[in-house]
Amino acid sequence: MTPGNANRTPARTFPDVCVRCATCMAVCQVSRVTLRFPGPKQAGPGAQRFRSASEASVDDWIELCTSCHLCDTVCPAGVPISELNLMAKAKFLDERGRTLRDWLLVRSDLFGELAARFSRIVNPLMKNGAIRWLLDRLLGIDQRRDLPGYEYPTFRQWFRTRPAAEDRKPEVAYFYGCFTNTNETDVGKAAVALLEAHGFTVTVPPQRCCGIPRLGIGDLRGAKEMGERNLDLLLPTVRRGIDIVFSSTSCGLMLRHEYGRLLELPGAGELAVRLFDLCEFLGRVRGEGESVVRFRPLPMKAAYFAPCHLRSLNIGLPALELLRLVPELDIRVIEAECCGLGGLYGFKKEKYEIAEEIGKDLAEEVARLQPEILLTDCEGCRMQLRQLTGIRTLHPAQLLRDVLD
Amino acid sequence: MKRWDLIVIGMGLAGLTAARTAMEMGAKVLVVGRGIGSLSLFGNTIDVLGELNPETKMESGIRGWIAAHPDHPYARTGAEGIVEALDSFRTLFPSPYAFAAIDGRNSLVPTGAGTLRPTYLLPVTMAAGAAMRREETLIVGLRGFKDFQGDTVSLHLRCRGVTVSLPRYGLEGATALALARLMDEAPFREGLGEMIRQQMAGEKFIGIPAVLGLKDPAGVLKTLEAITGARVFEIPMLPPSIPGTRIFHRFREALIAGGAAFHMGHPATGAAVENGRCTEIYAENPPLTSTYRADRFILANGRFLGGGLWAEMNRIREPLFNLPVSQPGSRGEWFREKFFQPESHPIHRSGILTDADLRPVDEEGRVILRNVWAAGSILAHHQAIEEHSREGIDIATGFLAARRALSA
Amino acid sequence: MDLKTEVLIIGGGATGAGIARDLSLRGIPCLLVEKGDFTSGASGRNQGLLHSGARYAVHDPEAARECITENRILRRIAPHCIEPSGGLFVSLPEDGPEYRSTFIRACEAAGIETVPLSPREALSLEPRLNPSLIGAVQVPDGAIDPFMLVVENARDAESRGARFLLHTEVVSLIRSGRKIAGVRVRDRITGDEYAVSAPWVINATGAWANRILELAGLKIGIALSKGSMLITNTRLSERVINRCRPPSNGDIIVPNDTVSILGTTSLRSEDLEHYEVTPEEVSFLVEELSRMIPEVKEERFTRAYAGVRPLVQSAEACDDRAISRGFTLLDHGSCDGLEGLLTITGGKLVTYRLMAERTANLLCEKMGIEVPCLTHLQRLPGAGMGKALGDRLLRLRRQTPAARGEILCDCELVPREAVDAILREGKVRELQDILHRTRLAKGTCQGGFCVYRLLGVLNELHKGGEDGGSNRTLKDFLEERWKGIRPVLWGTSLKEEELIESIYKGLFNLASDDSGASCGGAK
Repeated sequence: MTPGNANRTPARTFPDVCVRCATCMAVCQVSRVTLRFPGPKQAGPGAQRFRSASEASVDDWIELCTSCHLCDTVCPAGVPISELNLMAKAKFLDERGRTLRDWLLVRSDLFGELAARFSRIVNPLMKNGAIRWLLDRLLGIDQRRDLPGYEYPTFRQWFRTRPAAEDRKPEVAYFYGCFTNTNETDVGKAAVALLEAHGFTVTVPPQRCCGIPRLGIGDLRGAKEMGERNLDLLLPTVRRGIDIVFSSTSCGLMLRHEYGRLLELPGAGELAVRLFDLCEFLGRVRGEGESVVRFRPLPMKAAYFAPCHLRSLNIGLPALELLRLVPELDIRVIEAECCGLGGLYGFKKEKYEIAEEIGKDLAEEVARLQPEILLTDCEGCRMQLRQLTGIRTLHPAQLLRDVLD
Repeated sequence: MKRWDLIVIGMGLAGLTAARTAMEMGAKVLVVGRGIGSLSLFGNTIDVLGELNPETKMESGIRGWIAAHPDHPYARTGAEGIVEALDSFRTLFPSPYAFAAIDGRNSLVPTGAGTLRPTYLLPVTMAAGAAMRREETLIVGLRGFKDFQGDTVSLHLRCRGVTVSLPRYGLEGATALALARLMDEAPFREGLGEMIRQQMAGEKFIGIPAVLGLKDPAGVLKTLEAITGARVFEIPMLPPSIPGTRIFHRFREALIAGGAAFHMGHPATGAAVENGRCTEIYAENPPLTSTYRADRFILANGRFLGGGLWAEMNRIREPLFNLPVSQPGSRGEWFREKFFQPESHPIHRSGILTDADLRPVDEEGRVILRNVWAAGSILAHHQAIEEHSREGIDIATGFLAARRALSA
Repeated sequence: MDLKTEVLIIGGGATGAGIARDLSLRGIPCLLVEKGDFTSGASGRNQGLLHSGARYAVHDPEAARECITENRILRRIAPHCIEPSGGLFVSLPEDGPEYRSTFIRACEAAGIETVPLSPREALSLEPRLNPSLIGAVQVPDGAIDPFMLVVENARDAESRGARFLLHTEVVSLIRSGRKIAGVRVRDRITGDEYAVSAPWVINATGAWANRILELAGLKIGIALSKGSMLITNTRLSERVINRCRPPSNGDIIVPNDTVSILGTTSLRSEDLEHYEVTPEEVSFLVEELSRMIPEVKEERFTRAYAGVRPLVQSAEACDDRAISRGFTLLDHGSCDGLEGLLTITGGKLVTYRLMAERTANLLCEKMGIEVPCLTHLQRLPGAGMGKALGDRLLRLRRQTPAARGEILCDCELVPREAVDAILREGKVRELQDILHRTRLAKGTCQGGFCVYRLLGVLNELHKGGEDGGSNRTLKDFLEERWKGIRPVLWGTSLKEEELIESIYKGLFNLASDDSGASCGGAK
């Protein structure tokens, strides 16, 4: 609608291939818990027949889609439902305007670094009831949501203090992601340890936030800018013939698929073929038979939860396959579709309850299994699991690192 | 690159059955697909051959059918093959949510249109529907749940019907999934049970839309029966299908627990063939293309809805391997003049021809791909709609294809 | 139950309803009978085009002038029935620039405002046009909702005392010597027969004119021209897209709310009631119209339908398009010695008001009264509401159930209250009456889901149907729906059909051999 808009008009065939079978309605987590969202059949291909690029958006409920992509994975006709939703959300928010809160939240790399530096002040403040009340009222960040603590030094700073790479060993690069950098540095440390244990020397190329929080507020232009910057930074590594590994599922989805498919950035394909999920990479490296790298026995009851975005990566459950190699580990798979957090979605006041309601299923399953430890690749899911269950929750890499022989 | 013993293309009931069968035989299996096939649409009960006379025992009925229909997929599996496959299916659903036939014959169960439909294996949540007597049955609609029209059902079944408002929630326009989830919560279903009980007038059977929970449908059933004192049964409604979704979840859970790889979300869109064998298949996940290698492949990706077949303006194609498709001569012959008529539309019989081992063949009967087997609704010479045979064909041919593939 | 009136009008299409309105505005009591619902004939089976007249400018300037005059009148009196989308006349390389110049001049001469556009300008307005176009001309075409137009005419007439009896068929004429005295009718729903006495009878039955005239042993030369149309799943253009060449088949794409209507053909039809869209027509329309909008070739069609137009014949004509679309008004008193009977037939939807005016004028002359026509001055009752575009977005805004209660039709976002409102009016006598009055079942799945829900709602309100139950109605609906779907079943539409058929024949087991509560499997 506005000139110079980064938004694409959806390919006209998208709503046309929908046969109204409602299979998507059998998996949508949001419409499962609230009537405010009509569900993927209606929100995506259904509403698309009514929308027009030359008219103002009226579908204010489109913001409620969490972009979990579950609908895409089950649509027999291949309607890119969450993409249709996203484009509609982008147009709607471009017209309505975005809030200060959203502006702040998507700059997690910038504010995260600051918060990490001053984590000794920030962390207690973020637990202070009055401050939380203020954030709730002024910015709409729900005070019920546990906020992650910041850590200092950041992962990148820690990595810089390590001895230099050994030339003899093959190199692999690591994309850590904002959250690992400033809030969960041990995940990064575990990733590095595992890669080194498998005979690699790890490098950490210059990198930026992948940009997926921008997608959450329909800021396609912003996401494109971040993607372009990241490609500039990462392509040189790829062009040296080095693979890049990620440990954050959503970062991986953004870098490997959304840069190319959704944002149509030049060079995205070149990056994608060299980009791997950590466990996927380790699985390949270990190959089919016995690997020299073994794991010590761990007689413990653990449960693994597959993040929504992991399905979109289409790599199966590589973390689970690795965990099954740990002797005596009783590893179960949690049968639940979605944790509900949706990245930054569940932090927002108007969406908190939806996120909580979606996560109830997961919490009940965990309660049924009664594991001692929970494992999942996505930091959002980890945050949600901690808040919902209070059980110790790790990235699979952390557990594997702990039992390296 | 990783290599599997078997790759199953399609994760509808046929593909899932094939994958599970192979996995239990010790094979390393990958399932690739998008969507769950007809399980989300109609997979409510296990239809084997509803067209049989209701007095006939299924096993003997099938034998007679096979004798009369030598090209039918059941002729490939044989009656014993069907029985074995169904038994295997049933082991996936242990008590309390078990599937069973009544007296080894088809049962007639109520539908969302108030008609009766023949089917064979029923889950415990629908069993009472086969025994219901009109005078003693109450049909309960849920206000705001528009995909089940209780008044239509009670009007045509000629029994009493009521519509209850849902307890605690003002659920105008509730979806099937939302309702099923609520049913899984004890307070909700107890409240609903109580509301139904208050509307009863001594009925012994209660029919309710098929939303009796996803996680513990047998438990939901038990609660409702305890509160109402009647036998309760679910009635399938417009898609999405909750009972079908339960079947999918069980399969997925079993496959993952058994070590099978499950790649859902990106269907197979290409295949490489060399010297009459498929070497690998491809799935698009832009900007990447995933490549999957295996020794054997099972093609079970459905008919038109599933994408196993595609109708151009004048020709039907099988898009993955470009297999010859048995079909009527031209588009004008695909469909009959009337929607309802005794003989089905000719297009429904179209599909992939196979040999006795379910390997695709050409018109002369020559095997086209030596390491590819076909299963499910993509097969030619059946008409699942009129025969009421969809799930039976899926299960029986999925089972057989896996057996054949792994012994080849 | 015998009735009496001054003027009896037979036929509830645009012409008949227009006459009723005209007469009622002149204070003349009238009663209209129609054997089906409103717009059962050509009025309900056209492309929904509000002609600017440009199409006729070169070859029939008289008709063009009439069209543009009426176009402007209708925009004034019935803005709520019209989407003023505008239209383009698109010249492709094979059409040549000369015709375009001729066309522009002819439009000017007929008083139709035109704006010539360069290819770039045209493509910026309508990006899906064939990029090889050599130019376009903007004209004041629009899209019109014929059903709403007719209903509004009827509403206006009713408020002034006119009466409308739908589902009421004329079975014989009552004569009194050489004069008409009325008709006998049968209520098609109840089967009751009764008489309506009236000294004046106007036969406004369009293509059925001879059916009525036969009852008096009369006949006029009418050719039946069948025109077929395809409906797309999504709206292809903002404006009407016409081909800038001598009028031919496969010339026009008309936008209609969320879809587009492609048309048309013109084949002689012998049968008034039984005709269908042939595969050849479908292929032709796809081929021909993809010249203007190439995407048509990959397009998904949800339905095909045909309508039969009455063309009053002149002896020389062989090509239906050469027969003028002007209308014919006959006074059977002077022609055939039967006083009191008039026939009006032929014409186009956009000139219905003019046809009605002429008919009413003739009638008044014969009645010996002088009352002026007011139909061009008075606005229709609902004028003042927004239409189409606003309505489409309004439906979208209110989409969530929490906001709006039950939505019965997912594809077209028709809420239950729309149906309740229609039922409250008290005129609904069968399912199609409801379907005509909403957009229910007009979307992607063509009623696959919503008609089941609608019938459930009717059952709930005890309006479902007779003893057989609503499944009979449901099956009739599916059979009727089939006629429109069968011609376009390939690609995605075929997938849709597999779904719908599996639901109704499989899951619901609506078998082919019975009336309702079927028991499948018993053979």
